[in-house]
This record gives sequence, structure tokens and C-alpha cells, in this order.
Amino acid sequence: MELLITNGIVYDPINQISGEKVDILVKDGKIVSGVKNPKTIDAGGRIVMPGGVDMHTHIAGGKMNVGRMLRPEDGRRCIESRKKLTRACTGYSVPNTFATGYRYAKMGYTTTFEPAMPPLLARHTHEEFRDIPIVDKGGIPLLDNHWLIMEYVKSGDMDKLTAFIAWMMNATKGYGIKIVNAGGGEAWGWGKNVRNLDDIVPNFDITPAEIIHGLAEANERLNLPHSIHIHCNNLGHPGNYDTTLATFDLVKDVTSHNRQVMHATHIQYHSYGGSTWADMHSKADAIASYVNSHDHVTVDPGQVMFGDTTTMTADGPMEYELHMMSKRKWTNKDVELETGSGIIPIFYSRKVSVNSIQWAIGLELALLIKSPWKTAITTDHPNGAPFTRYPEIISLLMSKKRREEVLKGVHSAINKRAIISSIDRELNWADIAIMTRASPAKILGLDKHGKGHLGIGADADIAIYDISPEEDDPRKIQSALSHAKYTIKGGEIVVKDGEIVAVPEGRTYWVNPEFDGEATKAMLEDLAVKFKEYYSVSLANYPVQDAYVPHPVEIKTRCKNAS
Amino acid sequence: MFRIRSKSKPGVKMLVKLTPKKAFNIPVEAEVIKPGNFAGKGKSEIESIIVWQGNKEVMLGSIFDVEVEGVDDKDKKKIKILIEGDASRIKRIGERMTSGEIIINGSVDMHCGALMSGGKIIINGDADAWAGREMRGGEIVVEGNASNYLGAGYWGAEKGMRGGIIRVKGSAGNYVGEHMRGGEIIIGGSVGLLPGLNMSGGKIVIEGDAVLPGGEMKSGMLVVKGKVLEMLPSFRFEGKEVLDSIELKKFTGDLARGGSGTLYINSIPEV
Amino acid sequence: MIITDVLCPFCGDLCDDIIVEVEGNKIIEVKEACETGVSKMMGHERIAAPMIRENGKLRETTYEEAITKAAEILTNSLRPLMYGWGSTTCEADKKGIELAEEIGAIIDNTTSVCHAPSVLAIQNVGLPSCTLGQIKNRADLIIYWGSNQAEAHPRHMSKYTSFTKGFFTKEGRKGKHVIVFDVRKTTTAEVADDFVQIIPGDDYRVLSALRVILAGAGDVVPSSVGGVPKEKLIEIVDRMKSSRFGVLFFGMGLTQSRGKPYNVANAISLVRELNAHTKFAVMPMRGHFNVTGFNQVCAWSTGFAFAVDFARGKPWYNPGETSTVDVLNRGECDSALIVASDPAAHFPRKSVEHLAKIPLIQIDPCPNLTTELADIVLPAAIAGIEVEGTAYRMDGVPLRLRKLIEPVHLSDEEILSRILSKVREIRGD
Ligand code: SF4
Ligand SMILES: [Zn+2]
Repeated sequence: MELLITNGIVYDPINQISGEKVDILVKDGKIVSGVKNPKTIDAGGRIVMPGGVDMHTHIAGGKMNVGRMLRPEDGRRCIESRKKLTRACTGYSVPNTFATGYRYAKMGYTTTFEPAMPPLLARHTHEEFRDIPIVDKGGIPLLDNHWLIMEYVKSGDMDKLTAFIAWMMNATKGYGIKIVNAGGGEAWGWGKNVRNLDDIVPNFDITPAEIIHGLAEANERLNLPHSIHIHCNNLGHPGNYDTTLATFDLVKDVTSHNRQVMHATHIQYHSYGGSTWADMHSKADAIASYVNSHDHVTVDPGQVMFGDTTTMTADGPMEYELHMMSKRKWTNKDVELETGSGIIPIFYSRKVSVNSIQWAIGLELALLIKSPWKTAITTDHPNGAPFTRYPEIISLLMSKKRREEVLKGVHSAINKRAIISSIDRELNWADIAIMTRASPAKILGLDKHGKGHLGIGADADIAIYDISPEEDDPRKIQSALSHAKYTIKGGEIVVKDGEIVAVPEGRTYWVNPEFDGEATKAMLEDLAVKFKEYYSVSLANYPVQDAYVPHPVEIKTRCKNAS
Repeated sequence: MFRIRSKSKPGVKMLVKLTPKKAFNIPVEAEVIKPGNFAGKGKSEIESIIVWQGNKEVMLGSIFDVEVEGVDDKDKKKIKILIEGDASRIKRIGERMTSGEIIINGSVDMHCGALMSGGKIIINGDADAWAGREMRGGEIVVEGNASNYLGAGYWGAEKGMRGGIIRVKGSAGNYVGEHMRGGEIIIGGSVGLLPGLNMSGGKIVIEGDAVLPGGEMKSGMLVVKGKVLEMLPSFRFEGKEVLDSIELKKFTGDLARGGSGTLYINSIPEV
Repeated sequence: MIITDVLCPFCGDLCDDIIVEVEGNKIIEVKEACETGVSKMMGHERIAAPMIRENGKLRETTYEEAITKAAEILTNSLRPLMYGWGSTTCEADKKGIELAEEIGAIIDNTTSVCHAPSVLAIQNVGLPSCTLGQIKNRADLIIYWGSNQAEAHPRHMSKYTSFTKGFFTKEGRKGKHVIVFDVRKTTTAEVADDFVQIIPGDDYRVLSALRVILAGAGDVVPSSVGGVPKEKLIEIVDRMKSSRFGVLFFGMGLTQSRGKPYNVANAISLVRELNAHTKFAVMPMRGHFNVTGFNQVCAWSTGFAFAVDFARGKPWYNPGETSTVDVLNRGECDSALIVASDPAAHFPRKSVEHLAKIPLIQIDPCPNLTTELADIVLPAAIAGIEVEGTAYRMDGVPLRLRKLIEPVHLSDEEILSRILSKVREIRGD
């Protein structure tokens, strides 16, 4: 099918188009320079952008499903019947897979990355991907607490480390390297944690700093499209901004091919000053100033929004701490040799000082980081809030007036312990187009694979919003972004006037690093021992079979200096 | 048995009488039966209100003979619904009701008065499970017996009943007031297992017997005036107190969860 | 031909180290599996062909006719029930759920009659747990509560718990302490270090006593609870606290005794509170090999783990109302489709009586008591032997079942998908 989108005000930051009237031509799922007999969409002066890219959203797999099973009281919210085209939808913070796909598409999003795939359970993540309609997906495996990783980093065997990561990308059909509270997962196997970058991981005689650095180096040797993707140690503790800055600094010496070497996620949870909850305060300025003055780090905020949601992370000990504070129902799931996870419901209240400050910090980060290319909009769905609240967040970032309205109703601690009220910056549509499309695509390395822009050859993933650039009423902004006028995915109109009109299956991006050093053989011997002695499944049954990835997009990379 | 008060009783401006046409096995889900929903409607409009029976939509008029007396003046408080007959296969009567009155001269199926926040429901018969689930206000009177999960919460939710009052003349099943947080439940007869389970507020009074009262109780007040057939090992005896002119033994718990609920009981089993 | 690393499609342990020898499309030898597993894999009496009941007797027919009839029954039902799913693939589960949505059915699996209380308890308090390998490598205290896995999960103790060695458990059985709580001395109890006998129905009280002792308020506990002396309870709490890594497995002895979900919630709460002292995990001993898989698929596709009522288009989940035995006992449903399960053999009499009254469709590889009540019988290929597909182990680890021999019959997934197409055809979409 051919499409011609005309009269749109286009924001395509990667191609330096910022609010200009240009025609967009689509053929066979791609952006092209010429069409013969297109269906014409008259955008009528409305905003046109590439399809949204969510680089960090917990949409699929063990954790999310545990969340669904844990919370039928959330499942009964936002229920919609089956319709002719669409399956029944349930859940607010733990939506079912169908709702996840439809709701993203309705917001004009077309690419979503699940950033915490336990390797042993990767098959599960991919199973759910198949049932998330429309959007393209990718899963980033959790690797930092893996015994073999820690052993190789410890012994300094970079070849085997690289070989093992390459094997893991194949085995999990994974997209990159996720680090969560490095070393903390293993410690949590004994109910313990690591706090600082130099703490020793029990029984492995290694520190979080060593793991992070080792993985950053391996990541660059493998030439992965994305950098290491890190959830820093010490999440959610007053005073943790120190650890965060130290983590950034840790990989300063690592060089990459033209992108960041570390993406630090949901940085809001890692930007706290103070020493107790009573004096916890925003250190967004310190974090932002580091990011502003260094090019090796990108971050996403993990914005908190007021209301009920569900937290879920591979940071098991942190979830247990949350449980000990709130005493709410708590699920934990440790995964042998690899990782763990915790899930607990949470209510962020505007009447609670800490929650108000958390809300402020996310916005502060997005506003204080000067270059929108160094960040992206996230809520760490569903940790800070469900992704369906992005339009509201964007309206807050674009309107100081709206922020002031909210500020009136929050805990007064925000005046002294946060910076938000002193910030005047209002993001514009170009900033938003960067932070919701171009930048996350670039950070993931997907810009080179047709995502996040509308240049010739790019995927025809396009959103048209029922709003013109002059409109500055934040409520109008929120409503336009909530219900795309059109969402086009792979050249097909999937949303029209905020309703789903087609439900194609999305594709799954994964990275296949070529690495054929001698080290692979030796690594496989080590691996075989791990399976024989310690895993509860056999090696032959471990890798995710092709059947689970029916629409793969395999990105091949070549390793640098394999020995 | 309770007799229908005349429609001429001051305060009632509109009376809608629903007489079940025939018995059926597949339950009808009729949360539409509540005063607020009938306001401003005449007989034929009420007859054409849609309810679900299994996976099909049917009209209320095919389930009931509908009679309407009086006119509604939009004041929902003055609307009374009378179900004249057995409704033991009609679920969700009065769900989310806010005002007015429903009288059922017969038994009702599950979820009667669930999530109601005002008005009154009188059941001249038995109530099946989840009557008054997550109730916020208003009153439910069950002249017969109530089943399990009376005044309870929904699966996974941490707050069940938050307000209002439920009176059961007969007995009730297991888990009365599960996750209760406010309001009052009064049972004339005995109850089954674990009344007041997970309760964190409100008051339950049981005139008859109970088994394992107060499991996971966090706060609130639970009174068993009959016999406690089995007692949990995780409550602390605090002494005797006179309540409603009976001397009762006062306990606090459930200490298994560090709770500080108050449990008054008359007699405990020998151990 | 020798096939290695085969998954055993029988119990929730989902062993994946089985070696199978196949000759001429027949399994001739099974190694490494337990006896139950071997007998399951070596084959059973099979249903020869699709059948339809006429004048009280089943007669053989074609898939086409049987599937058409099945689709007609389901399309014309006001309240169809779709139950089973314990022993099939997730791919079949998915089709089943889609069909349920399409026809406005209640869909429910065998969880409903075994571990529903576990699911409900988890919704109440959560579940601090882990994968089985974590236990193998770390656990030095193993507790089985109301679970005789020596019979129900024969290799459980040798593969994952008491008798295995792992990274931090190099001493094997010697370094581990095993406690069994049950109402009678089971075969599992015989190989335990400690057997604690509980008066039937008193699990809840015993668990509360353990928790109150753990909470430091043991003074309120009477001298004996549920038949267990207080000193014993104190000793056990001390042992739990001083373990390095403890685990509590529970089975139907706990989930199906008085107070069902709240017994389980109490047990989970005990484990949760033990985490303030040491590392402790808890895990339901799930029975059929893929009963967990249905819960997973159902949760991600409907938002709820089992007992989902699609009658009104919007899913409604309310075990006790939308769960199979309750629906049958109340005589609510007017037709039923049973997949890979034998309710006639396991359900209460009242439920079976209602099943006998309504049009009943069965999809199963093997004849069973339910076949005798069925009006339409659709023979299926055996999941994990004749068809590939996904299954979830009791701890949520997903694995791919292998196809070992060529099937004669259609797979569950294929049958369901043909029924679905037929339903759509009948409705004219
Ligand atoms: S323990 Fe269970 S899964 Fe393992 S071989 Fe025996 S029956 Fe099969
Ligand atoms: Zn995250």
C-alpha cells in the first residue's frame, strides 16, 4: 500500500525537520521518495512525528505476569470488551498484553523495549511479545549477576566474557546488556545486598564497579547497537546520587563508536540527597549537571505520577525494603545463577513528602538536562506510573502553568527539598519529538535500523496528532497525545481518530554479534559445567527457539579485536 | 415475614414492582436494578432496560412483569423497588446503589448491594455470597441467612467494606467482613470460618457462634456473643469487660501479624 | 533413534533430561524418567476416532462432523464452560482463550480444583519465591507441607531438593534438614529428618502459632496447637531462623484443607516474615505438567490467572462464582468443553451430575470417565510426545516440549482453531 501524508507539520529531528510542512511518502512499509497511486491523508496542519519509541517499559515476561496475577484488583480497572478487531482489555498498571499494544498504538507509539529479561525466562518474554499486537519490540537480558559473567570479569578473561555475551544474545534473542543493582541480585540470593560500588559480592569476590566496567568494555568490543543499560546500585535510598555519579564516572574511560557508553535508566530514583527520608531531597541539579558536561552517559527519568501503580524490578532487595516500609503484598522471584525480581503495589500520594519530591525530581531532570538528545521520556512503566500517563507528563514538561497547578496540591516539602518551582523552562514540540522518538531510538541504536525518524528508507511508523504546533493549552496537548488522529505502523494505518483499525503483529529486534574467537569453545565448556551442575534445566533446552520469534529483525554486529 | 410498606408511606414517590415471570438456572446479571436507574422512566422504558443472561442481552421485561406506580420527581431517594418473588438467580441487585430502597420478597443471588454507598436493601429471604461486597454506605437487611464473603472485599484488594451497615437475622457463611475497614455487620445467628479475616476497621457483632474469629485482624472490633468453637493461638487475653450488659473476655490480635484488633468473646473451647 | 533432553509431559516438575528411544514411530524406551513418567511416555489406550453420541451411544465420525457439531453447541449456548488445560500446550491454551472470548464462555483450568487457593492467597499476600535451581544450589532447610511429592512428583527431591548437590550445597543430603508437616506419615515424611503431625483442618492454627512465636509473642501460644506441642513449634521456628536458605513447599494437603486460601496465605506470610531473619522462599507444588502454563497464558491475555467469565464481553474474574465446580454445582452452565482433563473422575458428585445433563464436548488423547458422559469426543495428539509446544514448570520456568513421534490425530490447538473458525462461520463473520 502507498500513502501520501500531506499538509502535516512535521517534526523529524534526526533529519533536522522541525515543524515544517513537508509531504511524507510511504510504500511497502517504508518511507520513500516517490509513490504512484497513494491513498492521501490530509493532515490539515496537524503535528506529524515518527512513531513513538519507548526504550524502557516493563511490558512482558515473568515480572509483569506475576504483577497481573498478584493484582486482580488492578486487572479489573480499565476493562474493555472484545470488539470485532480487538481482544478484551484489562488492567491499569498491569495491563494484559492486548491492552498494552492497543494503548501504545493509540498514543502514537510503535516501538517498545522491555528492559529486564531474565535469561532463563526469556522464552516467556517472547511469548508475551507475540501477544502484544501492533508495536515492535525488543528485550534486553539481565546479565550482570550471572555467575559466569562475574567469574569472567573476576578472572579478567575478556575473550570468554565477550564470547558468553554473544552466546547469550543468541540464546535469549536479546538486544543488549541490562545491569540491575550489579552484584545485588546474587547477594539477595542470601537475603543480602550490596550498597556501594566497592562492596564485595558475597562468595564471588568481585565488586559492582568491576562488573559494570567489565560489561561496558565487553559491550563495546561486541559493537552492540545499544550501550550497557544500567539500573544503578543503591536505588531509592536518600543520598544515593553519590553512587549514581560514581557509576557514571566508572565508564568514562570506555570508548564507543559514536554513542553513549552507558544508559542509566529511571534516574529519578537515583537522584536523592540527604541521609534519611526526613531530609531526602532532590539532587536532580547535580545529576543533570554531570550529564550536561559529559557525553558518555544518557539517562531517562522514570517519572513518578501520583496514584496507584505496581513496582517491579530485578532489584529484589529494594522491593523487599519497599515491602518492609509499606507492608503491602510482596512477591519475589530469584532466578538461579542469573538474577531475581520483586513486585509490590505502591501508591504515590501527593500528600506524602517523599512522593511529591519524587514527582518533582523526574520533571527536574527532564528540564535541567539541556540536550533532549541525552534523555527520553519514561515512567519505567509501571514503576513510576503506567505508560498511559505519558501525555500528561508531556503536558507538564511543556507548561509551567500546569506544573504550578499541580504544585498547589502537593506536599509543602517540595518547596524546600526540590527545585521544580524555580524552573521556568517549557519544552517545545521539537524537544518532545526528540525525547519520545529520535533520542530513544538513537540511544538504543535503532536509528540506523529505521526507527525514530522519517528519512528515506526508514520504517513507515508515523503518528499524526490532532493538534497544531501553536496550541499551548496543556489539557489539549494531553488529549491530543492520548488519542492519535492516525498511527501508521509499517505503512499500515493502525489507529484512526484514536481507535484501533488494524492489528498487525509487531516484529522483534535482536542482536546477533558475530564472535568466533577460540574463546567460544572454552566458554562453552565452562557453560556446560554450569548446566550440568547448577542449572535446573539442560543446556539443550535453554536457548529460545526460533518458533518464539516469528517476526525477527536480526541485527548482526562484528566484534572488534577478537583474539 | 416483613410486610411491604404501602406506597402511600410518606417519602415514597414512585414504586416499581418487579414480579419474576419464571424460574431459570442461568443467572441474570442485573446491576441495573437500582432506584437511581429507574428514575424518570415509565413502565415500558423499564421493561426495555437490558440485562445479561449468560452471554446474551435480554430485556428486563422478559424476566419480570413490571408495574410502576406513582411518578418520579427525580428525587432518587423516593424511589422504591419491590421484587415480588424469588430472585435467587438474579445477581448484582442494587450494585453501586446510592439511594432509595429495594425490597426483595424472596432470596437473592450473589453481589446484592455490592459497592453500594447509600439507600437501603431489604431481603426477605437469603442472600448468596458477596452481599454488600466493598460496601461504602447505606444499609442491607437480610431476614434469612447470608452466604460466604458477606461484606467482604474483592480478590487482591486491600480494603473491603468501608461503611454502611449490614444486618443478618439468620446465620452467615465463612469470611464475614473479610478485609473490612469500616461500617458495621451484625449477625443474629452463627457464622462459619474466620469472620473478620484481615479486618482493619469497623465492627462485627455475632450473636451466635464462630470458628477461628479474627485471623489476620489488624484493627477494628469483633464481638462473638455465642461460642467460639475454635480459637486462634495468636491472640492475647486482656481481661474481662462488660459490653451490651454481658461480661465478655477481651483479646487483642492477630499477633501473628502484629495486629491490634479487639476481639470480644463469651466462651472459648477447652484446649 | 535416540532423542536426548526430552521433557516429561506429566507432572509439574517438568523434567527435561529424559532420554527416549524411538523406532518406527513408536517410543520403545524411556530413560532417566521416574516410573510414572516412563509409563506416561510409553503410551496409553487412545481414542481411535472422533465420536458423536446418538441414542445414548457413541458412534465414530469425521473430525469435520464432530467439529461442526461442537461449534453449533457452543454457538447456541448461553453459558458455555471451557475447562481442563492441565496437560496441554500453551499454544492450545491461547486458542482456547480466544474461543472463550468469542463465544462468551467461562474459561477455567484444573487450578480451580487444586491450587486455586494458592492463586488467591498470592493475591492477598504475594509470594516470595524462586526457581528450583536456586533451591538446589542454596537451600539447607527444606519443608514440605501437605505435599507428598514422593508420590506426586517422584523426582522432586532427587533433582531439586533433599538429595541433590549444588554450588553452595556440596554436601548434598547431609547438609540439609528436611521437615514434613502433614496429617499422616507419608512416604515423604519417612525420608525427612522431622515429621510434624497436624490434626486434620488445623493447619491454619499451627501456622498462626509459628508466626506468633516468630513475632516474639509466643507467650500467648497454648501448650499444644493442632496436636503439636509448643516446644516443638519453638524448636522449628529456631531452626527456620538459623537456616541459611529455607524453602517451604506446599501441596493440596494445605490448599484443600479447611480455610483453603487463607491457610496458604498464612504459610506465605510465615515465609515472608522469616525473610527478616534469613533467606526463605515458598512454592506451590503444582500437579500437572502445564497447569502453571495455563495460568500464565490466561494472566497475560485476560489479566487473570483462571476462572475468567467472558459472558458479558468484559472479563470478570471471581473464583467461587466463576470457578468450574461452583458453576457446575449451581447448574449454571448449559454446555461444556473439556480439554485434556477428566472432571468426571475427580469432581464432586453434584458437579458430575450437571456435566451429565448438558451437552458435553471432550478433547483428549485418551478415553477416560469423562468420555462416558461426552456427547462429542475429539481425539487429540499428545502434547509433548506428538506435538511441540510450550509448558511452564511449577516455578514458572518456560520450556519447549518436544515432538518425538508423528501424531495420528490433530493437536488440541488445531482442533480448537477449527472449532473457532466454524463458530465464526456459523455466526457469519
Ligand atoms: S518427576 Fe514428574 S516430570 Fe519428572 S519424570 Fe517423573 S513424572 Fe515426569
Ligand atoms: Zn525498569
